[in-house]
Amino acid sequence: MARISIDPVTRIEGHLRIDVEVDGGKVQKAWASCTMWRGLETILRGRDAREGWVFAQRFCGVCTTVHAIASVRAVEDALQLEIPANAQYIRNLILIAHALHDHIVHFYHLSVLDWVDITTIPKADPTRAASIAEGFSNWPGNSRRELEAVQNKVKGLIGSGQLGIFSHGYWGHPAMRLSPELNLILFAHYLQALEFQRKSCQIVGVLGGKTPHIQNLAVGGVMNAINLNSLATFNMDRLGMLQSLLQELIPFVQQAYFVDACLLSASYPEWFRYGRGVANYLAVPDLPTDAKATQFDLPGGLIMKGDLASVRPIQNWRDQAFRSAVAEDVTHAWYKGEGAQTPWKGETDPDYTDFQADKKYTWVKAPRYNGQPIQVGPLANVLVGYASGHALTRKWTDTAFKTVSSVRASGATSFNLTPEDLQSTMGRYLARAIRSAMLSDLALQHWQLLADNILKGDDTTFNPPQFPAHECEGVGMHEAPRGALSHWVIIDKGSFTNYQAVVPTTWNASPRDEKGVAGPYETSLIANPVVDPAKPLEVLRTVHSFDPCMACACHTLDISGREIARVKVL
Amino acid sequence: MNASTASHPPRIAVVGLGNVLLGDDGFGPLAVEMFRRLYECDSNVEILDLGTPGLDLAPYLYDTDLVVIADAIYPPEDEKPGTLCVYCENDLAFSEAGSSHAQPRLTSHDPGVQESLAQLRLAGHAPSEVIVVGVVPESCGLGKGISLSVLNTCLVAVDTIARLLVARSIDCRKRHDPVPRTLWWQSGSA
Repeated sequence: MARISIDPVTRIEGHLRIDVEVDGGKVQKAWASCTMWRGLETILRGRDAREGWVFAQRFCGVCTTVHAIASVRAVEDALQLEIPANAQYIRNLILIAHALHDHIVHFYHLSVLDWVDITTIPKADPTRAASIAEGFSNWPGNSRRELEAVQNKVKGLIGSGQLGIFSHGYWGHPAMRLSPELNLILFAHYLQALEFQRKSCQIVGVLGGKTPHIQNLAVGGVMNAINLNSLATFNMDRLGMLQSLLQELIPFVQQAYFVDACLLSASYPEWFRYGRGVANYLAVPDLPTDAKATQFDLPGGLIMKGDLASVRPIQNWRDQAFRSAVAEDVTHAWYKGEGAQTPWKGETDPDYTDFQADKKYTWVKAPRYNGQPIQVGPLANVLVGYASGHALTRKWTDTAFKTVSSVRASGATSFNLTPEDLQSTMGRYLARAIRSAMLSDLALQHWQLLADNILKGDDTTFNPPQFPAHECEGVGMHEAPRGALSHWVIIDKGSFTNYQAVVPTTWNASPRDEKGVAGPYETSLIANPVVDPAKPLEVLRTVHSFDPCMACACHTLDISGREIARVKVL
Repeated sequence: MNASTASHPPRIAVVGLGNVLLGDDGFGPLAVEMFRRLYECDSNVEILDLGTPGLDLAPYLYDTDLVVIADAIYPPEDEKPGTLCVYCENDLAFSEAGSSHAQPRLTSHDPGVQESLAQLRLAGHAPSEVIVVGVVPESCGLGKGISLSVLNTCLVAVDTIARLLVARSIDCRKRHDPVPRTLWWQSGSA
């Protein structure tokens, strides 16, 4: 039996430690520990509720926008304040652009090098690589010339002997199995992705006034002035600019990223068997299509025990069952207090003890839904949509399955995926790509909703908030790139008296609870293969499939300096 | 693309890195806001508080000619809090195994800076020049605000940024009437 400790896990946002016990080449037990203290919410107490979002979007440097949105929605919920339709569409477009950015960065820059061995790229035949890529996609970046140029860059890099940021990869690991040609295709898109990261930032900037840290939000709507006759405001020029940026970004998502996720899925089919973990899924409704937020383009719901037929819809943000079901347990987290608390009553009173696997071992609390651990993220989003019969989810999921089968058919044995297979390590990668393709379609739809509404003559973007003299409480929900996010606020006379954020990574990186039930990361690692305990690449694949972002799951940064991950075999 | 071959004016980015809620870690955002307040530049100079973007830094450096990064920094030698340190890109070169060259560390963000620059270099869209204007922090605790030693250095840092731009023939003029400050995170309760 080997005990492996990876501290910190690299290629994630923030600090995460993973400990696993390996026997017979498989993980038997796992612990997820966040090594940073949490507590940024305390800064919000006593603040004016109208400006909470400005602070909330500094919780995390990567997910700025999502906390800003959840914060204004929480206050609007507490005030039961409706916002104008234009404000919904402008917020939705910002959220979509941010999510596409996030999913592209996750796939290419944070995780593809777990599957792509760049050191084999010099051996690739660029002509063959181009013909493979062009066989599955119309993406213009797949030409022989383009791929050969990337190959030459990689040859130069390897020839220089200075791999730089790439020097810590598990190159030559037996679990790396792509052909040199596929490695070349995916790495070419890794480099091209940088341009499309930039385009998605530009979209957020056009709408939000600044990126990162948008400036256009307000409790009650958005601060974008709409006037088709004024050059200084949001007008037809801006709408046109927005449309062109979307039309440049979307082909990369649907023709490069989506297809790459299918190629990866077809090449590593065994990874649909590992990493299932907690099979309870939660997605919250998002992308409202009306001012009152009664209709949503992303359905919310709950699936228990992996049974898609059991899906219970969450119709809207006022869902009472959700409000009474969520609680956070601190039995195994470095906080004082016992048992589970609703976030409205949550405290963040630290009680640090060192890593004690049987007692307290992390700064992440254990959120539970009616006492059960829950997995959130693009997979939950896609499974809930699929189970609820959501047409767009079905369209892109079925397209993904067909693409994977056709890639496989051109190779070895046939391979037909079902929604059940998505509950796995590779399923999380594929679901994120399916979600991105869906969001691309929805971006154009919400652009159209905004344009139609403005052309109809509606230029309202803001309803002023009125704060009651009595205490009120609210929840702000957002289906963020990493999954269901909720901000829970209590407001008295216009100021926050309590503020708790239950973030996606808290659900997924949750430690054990008072009953000893483990969280999604921990459970997903059970039976995960580990060929070489000194190079636990396979553990990273499963952990990265969740897209960990510890910075907001746990707050305060460790400033002790740069750390290259340590892998200790004990 | 760089200034000498491009037909358009050079693209300059003056960016602040750091979390404004974490004491002296907020030096970068403070410095760029002060720079915006005290100096006037042409529209080809983008002045941005980027917070702590991690790998999301890359889009803001993409195809720029010059990037000036303001950030809290831990120099290789022991220096007093508030000390100003200016580095060029080579000083920050990612250490290869066996390298004996001591390098400064930016606060928690340097993996983002190194990786973003390396990716952009490989993709052919890296900035032609990168300069780091750093300050040694006193304390990066939650909600503590900027310490006096770092605050005192901030104005020197701002003038240094201006001198670096002027030395590269980039138009950068001191304002007669400084624009109002927008340091929202330094006010109110906490």
